Amino acid sequence: MALLRRKRDDQHPEAVPAPNSIPMCDAAPRQRVCVAGKVVRMTARPTSGQPALAVSISDDTGTVTAVWTGRREIGGITLGRRIAISGVPVKRGDHLEFTNPDYTLLPR
Amino acid sequence: MNVIIAGAGSVGRYMAGQLQDSGHNVTLIDNDTAVVTQGRATRTPVGVTWCLGDACEVATLTGVGAAQADVVAAVTGDDEDNLVVSLLSKQEFAVPRVVARVNNPKNEWMFNDMWGVDVSVSTPHLLTGLVEEAVTVGSFVRLLSLEGGKARLAEVTLATGSPAISKELTDLGLPRESTVVAVLRDGHVVVPRGDTLLHEGDEVLVLVTGGVEDDVRRALVG
Repeated sequence: MALLRRKRDDQHPEAVPAPNSIPMCDAAPRQRVCVAGKVVRMTARPTSGQPALAVSISDDTGTVTAVWTGRREIGGITLGRRIAISGVPVKRGDHLEFTNPDYTLLPR
Repeated sequence: MNVIIAGAGSVGRYMAGQLQDSGHNVTLIDNDTAVVTQGRATRTPVGVTWCLGDACEVATLTGVGAAQADVVAAVTGDDEDNLVVSLLSKQEFAVPRVVARVNNPKNEWMFNDMWGVDVSVSTPHLLTGLVEEAVTVGSFVRLLSLEGGKARLAEVTLATGSPAISKELTDLGLPRESTVVAVLRDGHVVVPRGDTLLHEGDEVLVLVTGGVEDDVRRALVG
């Protein structure tokens, strides 16, 4: 993992990893993890008629989705923004999904 | 499977006993000291692990191993508590299957994935369905909603004059979004095949998804 991190930093010297975050490919379902990446997709979706904001976040190793229930937008979270999220993901299809994770906006 | 049940009332205790008997590993949580003490002392239900605590607290759920649980069932007599337990189980422990009991049918609309509930069970609603089923012949009765209403199990008892009588299942013209899952005839369960012939008095159980209920009704009731 350390090797991988070093390699990633070599490729993107400007990308400062968030403290304690791990590469997305190392995140396992049902473990509390922190991952960081760029917002690549945002969907305000009605979940059974009530709002939910689904945000896909990618780093160089994978993509995860965060779903915040009861809202359609979160101030500061925009396409292209780097954020770190921490929570316990579930496996949904071929990717991991976090429900209402803690989030931190990272410097651009 | 590891099953955690919040609420050791008659529902919770009965479920715990049944599940433990079928070989699952069951933990019962209740915040009533008397209930837990008595359960531990009398060892009923047999084999169940008891936990005295508030299931609405993350610490309690952590203590009983919610992070490894396969199922959490929130079956207290209080809808607010059941919702909190469901949300915590999903959000903090990513429990694959969360089942919640609806006490007041007016609250049923909240028991969905917003609150972490995978399956909700509403006793009054279930009873209404069963009563309707007992008294109505020839009409379309909804028995159970799955996936927040996206799929429904419905029942039709074929009355005289139903367009489905003496037809094979394939000839009914049921929409693709529906399927006949069982036919009950003279106390037997007939496993449906394409060439199953329907008779008057058959109870037909249909799984319906999407908005094709009217088409199914037309094919079976007329």
